[in-house]
Amino acid sequence: MGLLDSEAGKRRLLTVEIPVIERYNEGREPAYKIQLVRLGSSLVLRYRLKPCHNVYQLETRLVSSYPTVPPEIRVLTALKHCPHLLEGQTLCLWRQGSTGMTSGWDPAPYTCVFAVRAAWRWLACYEIWHDTGEWPLPEAK
Amino acid sequence: MAHLLQVGAGSGGMPVLDMVCRERRFSRITLIEPDVYKRHNVERHLFPAGAVGRPKAELARDWLAERRPDLEVRILACDLCDPDAQSVIDEAAASADIGVCAADNETAKYHWDALMRRHGKPWTLGEVLSGGIGGFVHWFRPGGPCYGCVASFLQRSAVPVAKPNVPDYSQPNGLGETTLPASKASIQAIASLHALVTLALLDHPDDYSPGFTSLLLTLQHVPDVFDEAFRPYRFRIPRSAECLICRTAAGPGPSSPEELDVALDQALARLGHG
Repeated sequence: MGLLDSEAGKRRLLTVEIPVIERYNEGREPAYKIQLVRLGSSLVLRYRLKPCHNVYQLETRLVSSYPTVPPEIRVLTALKHCPHLLEGQTLCLWRQGSTGMTSGWDPAPYTCVFAVRAAWRWLACYEIWHDTGEWPLPEAK
Repeated sequence: MAHLLQVGAGSGGMPVLDMVCRERRFSRITLIEPDVYKRHNVERHLFPAGAVGRPKAELARDWLAERRPDLEVRILACDLCDPDAQSVIDEAAASADIGVCAADNETAKYHWDALMRRHGKPWTLGEVLSGGIGGFVHWFRPGGPCYGCVASFLQRSAVPVAKPNVPDYSQPNGLGETTLPASKASIQAIASLHALVTLALLDHPDDYSPGFTSLLLTLQHVPDVFDEAFRPYRFRIPRSAECLICRTAAGPGPSSPEELDVALDQALARLGHG
């Protein structure tokens, strides 16, 4: 689609992604709002999440072929090595780089804020794993 | 006499092109295909081994010229998603009567869907499942469900083919999708259905009603996947009001490209400061 260089991509941003980010930010403490930054042909969401005890700094990258290709989510805050964490502290939420039926990502109903919420859930699991040694989501085993 | 716009002349696209172009209803073909014919293509393709190394689009044009010398064939040897090729592809879409998508990746399918919706053209898509265990044929018309509606519906509801897709945490490092090649017979079977649906849609662009949006035909019995071979599943898929793919295009917003860029720059400036 070409998120930043096609009309369809720009319209997706203006009518879907940006409004959901603005709704997410509405009334939220400034430190926890999503910032949106252009980086070459990608867009990067920068934000903080506090699922339980700790605050984490994250980046979600929307590549040029987003939303067909799922967003890539990386935690910038140092984490302990744990299950479901890929190289570069990228979260294993869906198969990065893959599309369609095998990825678990669906561009028709999901937005970038869905990815932020998925990251929040992942971090909540991480904190439970950190305390108990057990990853709590059964489908992840 | 109709103008067909097709993307893809691989092992699945070429038999569709061959079958539909033998019908005299078409007088004009535009084919988008950037690939070169390779050694590993020979097993499943219509072209001979001696053609290895030549562009597939040229081979397709020669193939059609031998069978339909009266056919006007234009080849666009570019990637469907190449930003530099969009104006020429748009021009071809604007004058087409029907589209055939034989692309092999999701990005291209979504791009094609957007192109066809933008120009208000009906189109069809064929998909052979990994290993040739079956395949889908989908058809689309302006105002109907888009590819996003269809893909999203099938991902959730087509239990026999798409089990619930939870992330595959068992292979955190195995990032590539595993696909098994399909046999030429399987590809040909789905291509034949794809050609039939295309021709029927061309005849009835406004009132085509075969009783499905997506047809799945199983070709093999596969334990836990398909109970039996040669069983059709007919999916009637409505347009989803929540679909972010087709809702985007219909949504309000700036009308000209310049206004779009200004609105996007303003939004990025607004959201760029924490």
